[in-house]
Amino acid sequence: MITNLVIFAFITGLLTGGVIAGAIAWTRDLGLNLKWWKWLMAAFWYMLLLLLVFAAFTLVGEGEAVAGWKILGIATVVMVILGAGLFRLFTAGHKQ
Amino acid sequence: MAEKSKKDGEAHSRREFLKIGGAVAAGLQVGAVAGAGMAAGKDPSTHTGWQHLGDNTQFVDRSKLIRKGPAYEITGETIRPRRYESAFGRQRLIARDMTQYREMINSFDAGEDRQEGIGNPSDLPERETSPETSGGVRSPRDAKGFPPLETFTEPMLSYYKARPDLYDLDKLRVEEIMPKKRKDQEKYEEFYTLINAWSDSWSTHERITEPPEVSDFKIEGRRKIGKPMPFKSPELASKLIKKVAHHFGASMVGITTIEPDWCYNYDLRGSKNRESYEVPKHWKYVIAFGVPHQWEQVNSNPNSGTSYDAYARISIAARRMETFVKSLGYPARRHSPMDGYDLIAVPYLVKAGLGEQGRHGIVITPETGSNFRVAFVTTNLEMEIDQPIEFGVKEFCEHCQICADICPSGSISKADNNEEMNTRGYRHWEINQTSCYNFWMQSMGGMGCRLCLIACPYSRKSNWVHTGVRKLDTHDPTGLMDNVMTSMQKRLFDAPEAHEYLPPPDGRFANYREAPEWLQVKNYLDIETSDPSLGE
Repeated sequence: MITNLVIFAFITGLLTGGVIAGAIAWTRDLGLNLKWWKWLMAAFWYMLLLLLVFAAFTLVGEGEAVAGWKILGIATVVMVILGAGLFRLFTAGHKQ
Repeated sequence: MAEKSKKDGEAHSRREFLKIGGAVAAGLQVGAVAGAGMAAGKDPSTHTGWQHLGDNTQFVDRSKLIRKGPAYEITGETIRPRRYESAFGRQRLIARDMTQYREMINSFDAGEDRQEGIGNPSDLPERETSPETSGGVRSPRDAKGFPPLETFTEPMLSYYKARPDLYDLDKLRVEEIMPKKRKDQEKYEEFYTLINAWSDSWSTHERITEPPEVSDFKIEGRRKIGKPMPFKSPELASKLIKKVAHHFGASMVGITTIEPDWCYNYDLRGSKNRESYEVPKHWKYVIAFGVPHQWEQVNSNPNSGTSYDAYARISIAARRMETFVKSLGYPARRHSPMDGYDLIAVPYLVKAGLGEQGRHGIVITPETGSNFRVAFVTTNLEMEIDQPIEFGVKEFCEHCQICADICPSGSISKADNNEEMNTRGYRHWEINQTSCYNFWMQSMGGMGCRLCLIACPYSRKSNWVHTGVRKLDTHDPTGLMDNVMTSMQKRLFDAPEAHEYLPPPDGRFANYREAPEWLQVKNYLDIETSDPSLGE
């Protein structure tokens, strides 16, 4: 039990580091200079995405697959809209 | 110049963000590992032998440990064992021969104290048997010593001649060890009151055949209860009873006082008088406890589930609890699904603070929703009592009609509230028990239904998703979460319509969820079956 948790935490930490490094690289590539609050918003968006995926698959795992897929479908639509809105906000007034 | 300064500032801001975020992440990870360690350490599912098995049937994959060859190496001619070769197995024969010996010298005295020895009680005369802490048989009191070897009859005579060492050991036990133990018991037994009560309660096995004024004062129907052991305080009595109840298998426990209005007024168990009776004066307190159903099968109700899994487990817990209380010197009577009730369950559960009564007439608890079965023990052991609780069920049930919508027999009210309802002077949700029972008689599988238990939004699994939603609902004073919960349950969690649970041709013997793999005939039995869901 504890071994699984430690391994999970370790892998999650590595992945999180990777995601952060990737995000930095993307912003540099796009020429975006994001303020800290924009990073925070992006992080919230990402965490909300993880939370919804986690919730959906929790339902799938407990045997309520229909409910899980429905939540995943709704989450996908909501997260795409939110993501697009955030991208517009981050790039507003920015010239490539 | 200004632009360069601005860029430097932004770069600095970015560096600060990375630094702070990294530190916060490190702190969170350390905290998470510490929290995970705490949780893993406290997790009851890590108790040896009680871990979650997942899809396995054993904790260890024994297929990797198989060795070749027979279990034992054969070293000579093999013979079957004789029961009296076992120290436990020969107790019956020893007792028989000791009895004969003592009758011969006219000095037999059947003992009543706890003694060692295990045998087959059904083979013994009544005076030689008694319930044991160890679940066995008492040997006769040995006031006159162990019989001489030559007074034993066959087969013990031949056996002892062949094994004089065992004769000496049995003689030692009877002449020295057991008398010494009796003296030790006289001196120290109270020091072990709780473990003896605990042990007695696990070994109990009796049926209620006598009225409360008799049966409630006897342990296992034979031994009279001893003097009441005084507790340091009612609070500690309550704490101990709850602790023990959990170990007996109860998932939740509450304690309250007796309410005559909620005791049946007819057909008292064990009483020859089938008419009205006074509530026994020693029924002062009620210990109420419950267990949930096995998760997979309860979801496959009404036609591939049963009530008896939880019925049996809570009835066993009730038997144990009754004996435990009696063993502490207090009269007690169990009321359970397998042994019957002399009281009505729901109001006592509400009064003992286990939950609130829902639209479907049964109690909804914060832990398991409607998915639980209950038993009670009535006693005069003074305990701290619990208070009724409130976590929004009343308001929720007024919003939610899921149980009423799904009920195949239409037995659950769809009224907006229970303001107009009156049951023997008390206001609470009422159901039509007769039409409910009629559907029990129609359903397949284990008799009964249980759909309202499992369709209740409070009964959803106790994972973080549902637990979180339930907690939000409990703490939401606006009623918004009631609507969210009900709406999500209806929109996300598909279920067959009410009529589909009925027998063909009106329905198809549907279940709320598919039966678990291990309850599906097609997976295990080589027989031809007719699937009612495919039509006639």
